[in-house]
Amino acid sequence: MISMDTPKQMKAHELKPIVQSVSLGGSGHKPVRYENIEAIRRGEPIEPAVHREMRSQDGVIKVENFKLWYGQSQAIHDVSMDIPRGAVTALIGPSGCGKSTLLRSINRMNDLIDSVRVEGKISLNGSPVYAPSVDVIGLRKRLGMVFQKPNPFPMSIFENVVYPLRIDGERRKSVLAEACERSLKAAAIWDEVKDRLKDSALGLSGGQQQRLCIARAVVADPEVLLLDEPCSALDPVATIKIEELISEISSRYTVLIVTHNMQQAARVSNYTAFMYLGRLVEYGPTAKIFQTPKLVETEHYVSGRFG
Amino acid sequence: MSDAAAPKSPATRRTLPSAGGEPMIWLTGGALVLCILMILGLVSLVLYNGSRAFWPGPIAQVELNDGTAFLGIRTDREEGTATTEPRALYRVGNRDIGQESFRWVDDAEVREVSYPPDAVMLERLAWGVWFGIPESITAKDEDGSESVLASGMDEVLEQYESLHRDARGEYHDAQTLRDHTLGEINHKIDSIRLRVREKELEFATAEDRPGRLPILVWVLAVAGCVLGGAGFVLLGRRANAYEIGVPGGIRIGRFGTAAMCVVLLLAGWIGAPWRGGAISETELQSYRADAELRERDLLSEYDRVLADIQAIEREDSRVRFVVNEVTGGRFSPISQTENTEPMRLSQVVRMVPANRLSTGQRFGVYLSRWWEYLTTGPREANTEGGVFPVIVGTVLLTLMLTIFVTPLGVIAALYLREYAVQGVLTSLIRIAVNNLAGVPSIVYGVFGLGFFCYTLGRYIDTGVARTVALPPLGWWFLYLAAAVVGVAAFALGVWSKPKPGEPPRAFNVWMKRLAWGAWVLTGVLVVLVFVRTPYFDGFFAARAADGSPTFGARGLLWASLTLALLTLPVVIVATEEAIAAVPNSMREGSYGCGASKWQTMRRVVLPGAMPGILTGAILAMARGAGEVAPLMLVGAVKLNQDLPISANAPFLHADRSFMHLGFHIYDLGFQSPDSEAARPLVWTTVLLFLTLVLALNLIAIVLRARLRARMTRGAV
Repeated sequence: MISMDTPKQMKAHELKPIVQSVSLGGSGHKPVRYENIEAIRRGEPIEPAVHREMRSQDGVIKVENFKLWYGQSQAIHDVSMDIPRGAVTALIGPSGCGKSTLLRSINRMNDLIDSVRVEGKISLNGSPVYAPSVDVIGLRKRLGMVFQKPNPFPMSIFENVVYPLRIDGERRKSVLAEACERSLKAAAIWDEVKDRLKDSALGLSGGQQQRLCIARAVVADPEVLLLDEPCSALDPVATIKIEELISEISSRYTVLIVTHNMQQAARVSNYTAFMYLGRLVEYGPTAKIFQTPKLVETEHYVSGRFG
Repeated sequence: MSDAAAPKSPATRRTLPSAGGEPMIWLTGGALVLCILMILGLVSLVLYNGSRAFWPGPIAQVELNDGTAFLGIRTDREEGTATTEPRALYRVGNRDIGQESFRWVDDAEVREVSYPPDAVMLERLAWGVWFGIPESITAKDEDGSESVLASGMDEVLEQYESLHRDARGEYHDAQTLRDHTLGEINHKIDSIRLRVREKELEFATAEDRPGRLPILVWVLAVAGCVLGGAGFVLLGRRANAYEIGVPGGIRIGRFGTAAMCVVLLLAGWIGAPWRGGAISETELQSYRADAELRERDLLSEYDRVLADIQAIEREDSRVRFVVNEVTGGRFSPISQTENTEPMRLSQVVRMVPANRLSTGQRFGVYLSRWWEYLTTGPREANTEGGVFPVIVGTVLLTLMLTIFVTPLGVIAALYLREYAVQGVLTSLIRIAVNNLAGVPSIVYGVFGLGFFCYTLGRYIDTGVARTVALPPLGWWFLYLAAAVVGVAAFALGVWSKPKPGEPPRAFNVWMKRLAWGAWVLTGVLVVLVFVRTPYFDGFFAARAADGSPTFGARGLLWASLTLALLTLPVVIVATEEAIAAVPNSMREGSYGCGASKWQTMRRVVLPGAMPGILTGAILAMARGAGEVAPLMLVGAVKLNQDLPISANAPFLHADRSFMHLGFHIYDLGFQSPDSEAARPLVWTTVLLFLTLVLALNLIAIVLRARLRARMTRGAV
C-alpha cells in the first residue's frame, strides 16, 4: 500500500470549546445557543434541516445512512442526502467536518487508505458504490475528480488530457485529438495551450494546471464531476477563472464541489449542504441557505460569525 | 503600557565576535579546496604520466669509463644522497642477446654522453626494443646469393618505408590467413568432432536413461498446470476488481502463478519425453563415417592454406634488416636461438630514428603509437602492443552489467515501494539491501565463482548427475506436487482476502500465512524439480566431457551477473527514492481518472521517477566498471585475444573469459616480467580506463538530461 497523508482526523475531545454559548458582536444581541452543534459535539444524533425543495429533486447520487471510520475514529456519522442532477452542489463546513471525506467516498478514493471502514449506502445513478461486486476502477471511470492541488502528470499537455482515454485503450489519433480539443475548450484553456500541446504540462502556471486537470476530468464524459476545493491553491485571478468555468460546465455536468470559501459556494452553486463534525446540519438551495436558513448555526456560519 | 514592553537597553544583547563565522568560511572553503586539489592532483598526475609514455625521447650513446658503450633512452634519474651516487636509468633493450633491458648507470662511471644521429630504436614483434645503428637491408635470392637493397643509414632511411610496408603487408596477409581462414577451418573441425562426441555420449548413456513415461502423462501434467494457472489468473482478475485498498496477497498470487506456470513449463520441457531419444549403434557408425569424411575434406583444405601461408612467409623471410649494436658488433637476430642470422624486416613494427626527427615527426610517431595502442592486441606479456581486446572486454562487461542490473533493480524496488505492505519485513529487507552495498566486493567474486560458475554453469553444461537424479516416477510426483502446491498457494492467497470495506479477520490472517507458507514450499519444490530431474543432461555435455566447459567456467556472463549483484543495492535504493519522490497527488489524480494501480505505476510513477532511476543506473555503472577484485575470480584473464564478440554465431560469446582494464593495470604493474618496461603503460592504461569510465558515464548523463528535458520542457 502506498502510504497516504491521513486526512484531518476529528477528535472531538481535542476541540476547544468554542460555542458553549456565544455572545455576538457585543452590541445588544442576546446570547445564542447552538443547540444542534452542541448536540453534535456531545455525540448525539441530530435531525438535519433539509429544505423541502430537496425532496422533489432527481438525485444522481444518493447517500443513505453513510458512516465512515478511519481506524477507530468515526469521520462521517449517518449522512443521508441526494445530490441533484444537472446542478452544482456545494459542501461547506469548518475544517475536519468530513466534507472532503464524503466527496472522496463517492469515487472510493478513501480505499487508498488502509484503515478505512464504511457502513451505509451510496448509489450513483441507481448503481451501488459500495457493493462487494463493484469494480472500483470502473466506478472511478464514471466520475471525474479534481483535487485541491493541481496534479498534472509528468507528460505533455495532450497526453495529460487524453489520459483517461489512453488507459481505456483508445489509440485512434483522430479520436484522441478531437476529445482533447473538446475538453480543453470546455475547460476554457484551449486558446492558451493549443500551440504547445506537445510541451510538458508541468510548465503551465498553477491556474492553467488546474484548468488542465478539469479538462482531464471531463474528457471521458463523467456522470458527475467531483471538485475537492479546486481553488484553494490558486491566486484570486485564477480562482475567478475556475469559478466561471464551473458555472459554465454546470450546464452539462452534475458538479459536487467541496469548498472552504463561503462566497465561492454562494457564487457557483445551486444547492448547498452545511456539515459539521461528520454530520449533515442543513441542506437546501443556496439562496435559502445564505439568506433564510432554518438554523441559526447555518446563518452564523455562512456569515462568518462562527466556525 | 507597562515597563515590560519598553525596549531593552542595547547592552543586554550583544553580537559575539564568533557570530560572524569568518573562521567557518575559511574552514569549509579550505576543506573544499583541499578536496579539489587532491582530485586535480590525481587527474593531472595520470594525465601527465599517461600521455607522455608514447613520446619518442632522444637516443643517447653512453660511453663508460671502462671503454664500453651502449645506446639507450634515459627514463629516470635519481639525485645522489649521502650514501648513494647520483645515477640515471636507461632503457637499453636488446634483451634477446642477453642484456637487461633497463640499466642503472652511476654518473661517475660515465665518460661521455652523445646523441648519434644514426641511432634508431626498433619496436619489434618479439623480445622488446632494439637499439642500434642500421647497416643494411638485404635480400636473399632463391639460389642463396644475397643482394644488398640498401646500405648505410641514409640509404636505409630512404628505402625503409616502401620495403617495410611491403614486408609488413606480407606478414599481415599470412597472419590474416592464419587467424581467420585457418581459425575458421579449425572451428569447423572442432564442431564436427563435438557433434560426434555428443552422439557418442548419447549412445553411451542410452542405457541408464530412465524409461520414458507415456506422453499422455506429460501432456496431462502440463495441461493441468496451464489450465489451473490460467483459471486462477482469470479468477484473480475478477477478485482483483477491488484491487486498491486491500492488503497484498492476491496480486502477488497472480504474478506468482504466472511465474510458476512459466517455470513449471520450463521444467516440463527439460524433462520432456522426446528429449534425448537414444540412437542405435548403426546410426552412430554412419554418423561417424560421415563426420570423418567431412573432417578429411577440411584437413586437406587446412593443408592447402598452410602451404599458402608458408609460401608467403618464405617470401617474407628473404628480406633481412641488419642493425648493429653500437659496440660489440652484434646485430639484431631473427630469434634468440638463431643469433647468427639477422632479423626479418617484417619483424620490425616501427623504426624510430629518434635523433633525426623534427618535433612534427616526433608527434607523428606519438600518434601512431597511440593508434597502435588503441587498435591492436597486446604482445610480449602485455608489456607491448595495444589494449583493444581489453577495451572491448571492459565496455561489454559494463554494458551487460547495466542491462542486467537496471531492470532487475527497478522492478524489485517497484514492488518494495508500491506493492509490498510496509512493515517490519520491508524494513528488514531495506536494511539488508543497504548492507549488501557495504559487503567487500571480493565476497561477491567468491560467490560468483562458487554459485554462477561452478553450480549454475555446470548445471547448464552437464545437467544432473545420475547419482542425484530421482527415479522417473518420483520426479513426476515431485513435479505434480510443485504444481499442486503452487496452485493451492494461489488459491489460499485469494481466499485470504477480506471482503472489501471490512477489516481482516483471524481467518484471513491465517489463510494469508498459509498462503505464504505454500509459496515458500512451492519455491523449494520447483528448485528440487530442476535439480533432481532425471531427464536433463545439460546443453554442452560433450564439450565439458572434453575438458573445456562452456558455462561451467569463468566468463563474461558470470562476471557481469556478479557485478550486477554487486551493484543491485545502488539501483534499488536510487529507484526507491525516486519513486517515493513522485508526489502522492499525482497517484491520486491517476486513480481518480479510473486508472488501475499498474497503469498508474507505468504511466505516471515510472515516468516521474525516470531521471532518478537513470541516476541509479549511472551510479551502478560507474561502480561496476571500476570493480576489479571480483573479476579476478569470475572471468578477467591476463590474455585472451579471442574477443567476446565475433562474426560467428552467436556473435556475443558470453561464456568466454575476457580482458578488463582494471585487471590489466594490476597485471601490468605487478605481474609483468619486465616491470620497468610496463610502468609507462600502467599510466597510459590508467588514463584510458579513467577516460572510458568517464565516457560511459557521460553518455548516460546526456541520456538522462535529454529525458529530463523532454519531461519538463517548457517548465518555468
